[in-house]
Amino acid sequence: MTEVLLLGRRAVREVVRYPEATIPTLFIPLFFLAVNIGQVQTTFNASTAPWLHGQSYVAFQLPVSLMFAVATATTGLALVTEIDSGYFDKLLVAPIRRTSLIVGRLGADLVRGLAASAVVLFVGIVIFGAHVESGPLGAVLAVLLAAMFGVAYAGFGILVALTTRNVQATNTSFLLFFPLLFLTPNFVPFDRLSPLMETLAKINPVSYVIVGIRSLIIDGWVIDKILVCLGVILVMGVVLIGLSLRAIASYDR
Amino acid sequence: MAAAAIEARGLSRTFKGGIDAVRSIDLEVPEGELFGFLGPNGAGKSTTIRMLCTLLPPSGGTASVAGHDVVDQGDDVRRNIGVALQEIGLDPVQTGRELLELQCGLYGIKGSAGRDRTAELLELVGLADAAGRRTKTYSGGMKRRLDLASALVHHPKVLFLDEPTTGLDPASRLTVWDEVRSINATGTTIFLTTQYLEEADELCERLAIIDAGEIVAEGTPESLKAEIGKDVVSVELHGADAERTQRVIGDLPGLDRVIAQPDALALFVENGAASIAEVVRRLDAGDVEVGAISVSRPSLDDVFLEATGRRLEGAGTDQPEDKGAEQDEAAAKALAP
Repeated sequence: MTEVLLLGRRAVREVVRYPEATIPTLFIPLFFLAVNIGQVQTTFNASTAPWLHGQSYVAFQLPVSLMFAVATATTGLALVTEIDSGYFDKLLVAPIRRTSLIVGRLGADLVRGLAASAVVLFVGIVIFGAHVESGPLGAVLAVLLAAMFGVAYAGFGILVALTTRNVQATNTSFLLFFPLLFLTPNFVPFDRLSPLMETLAKINPVSYVIVGIRSLIIDGWVIDKILVCLGVILVMGVVLIGLSLRAIASYDR
Repeated sequence: MAAAAIEARGLSRTFKGGIDAVRSIDLEVPEGELFGFLGPNGAGKSTTIRMLCTLLPPSGGTASVAGHDVVDQGDDVRRNIGVALQEIGLDPVQTGRELLELQCGLYGIKGSAGRDRTAELLELVGLADAAGRRTKTYSGGMKRRLDLASALVHHPKVLFLDEPTTGLDPASRLTVWDEVRSINATGTTIFLTTQYLEEADELCERLAIIDAGEIVAEGTPESLKAEIGKDVVSVELHGADAERTQRVIGDLPGLDRVIAQPDALALFVENGAASIAEVVRRLDAGDVEVGAISVSRPSLDDVFLEATGRRLEGAGTDQPEDKGAEQDEAAAKALAP
């Protein structure tokens, strides 16, 4: 356990000391939040869009921005850079469980995810005037769910880093972000999508994460949506992190 | 004889695509020895070290380090070894002190014990003043020394150093040599790879010469040179035809063997001083013009030449940025028929 804490602390240190790696990942969600709201809020407002439940469009967009804030390739890139530099080999010859190297990094992802989603939610509420229907506890849960999603998503970057050991490939893996985050009910609800888009969005697990977090902001406490959201995050996490742990166990074998 | 700190039998590594980077090598390094592994770039040095350090599983044969099998008892091996690989493994984001303290923690040296050990090592490698700076600001020599210190936190029984002085300036090289000697003096077995003849000669008690994945000679530097036994007369051809020159020199008295290289002949003779005059006479009589002719005591390069037919200097792939095992693989590929 100690080794996980030590490695986690080091990974957090990396995040804090490389603000140039984190700040752009915050810029994207805030930029899209401002632009999307600015462009469609007169089209979709409380009177034209009943699915907003009386709120402004920011409430609908905010969960998508939370996803943008936490779904980053940062961890995979940090890992592949570490592999490239040779420091990873140094860690591998230490008498520690290899899985600690992954778990430590994921711990840092949780910390970064909590901070990033808290910032985005804060901006959404204070600057764009969103209102979290489920109250402060719901806001905390939304941040937590987003951060957990970020941890699960990081498992994918780690997997790519370990299997390709290639900086470019790991960098390119962020492209996954587009289908995962845009083939969702990100602009309008499921029933407003074209049939094709609706089908695609419904098989995309990330849709249910967005819907769950959105329900906390727009609807209040809709337990089944929250549970589905949590379940999807857990399954994604178990699969992606499980594959990463397997990849590191058989690294160089 | 002391127990073996490192033992390998038939150790082999074949990479994907059937590239044999290491071909069935046997090694036995007794406890406390400073053992050198000399060879050109791409000979298989890094691949061997990675197998002995449990980073790369062998494709054949067995190896044990500090009495533990590298495949079945990897954890025990890792607890007993310190490793400084050729690619200096430092985290640029941490300071020197943080890196060593983390390293202590990973080896179970916690709290004040870890801080004390860190301070001690920083002092040992002369980095106490730079300890608070991030490692990305360090010079090459400083990085190498910090890497060495990080391999020592847990007083390893066996220390692996993969080309510890490659890329260092001469002064830093001497500093590293001194550190290696003083670490060895405390009883630590050291397995060191190098492509520098001088380093193998000056530093190592015993050495093995590896070429194209195979050990071609093994012994103390003195015994290896003594095995050649003779003086070496080198004749620079300077455009002269090697075959004709060799024919003109003919059967010198006391000549053991001749090794022809593209631009020189190496004559292994009983008495260099006496032979050189005869060589000049015969070349003159045969009207062969050559470049410089020199006589020397056998060097490790001559040992390498005798074993492989090539000089070590300038052998191997000519890349200043060595990539260790990957390069072994590339070079093995290049050598493959």
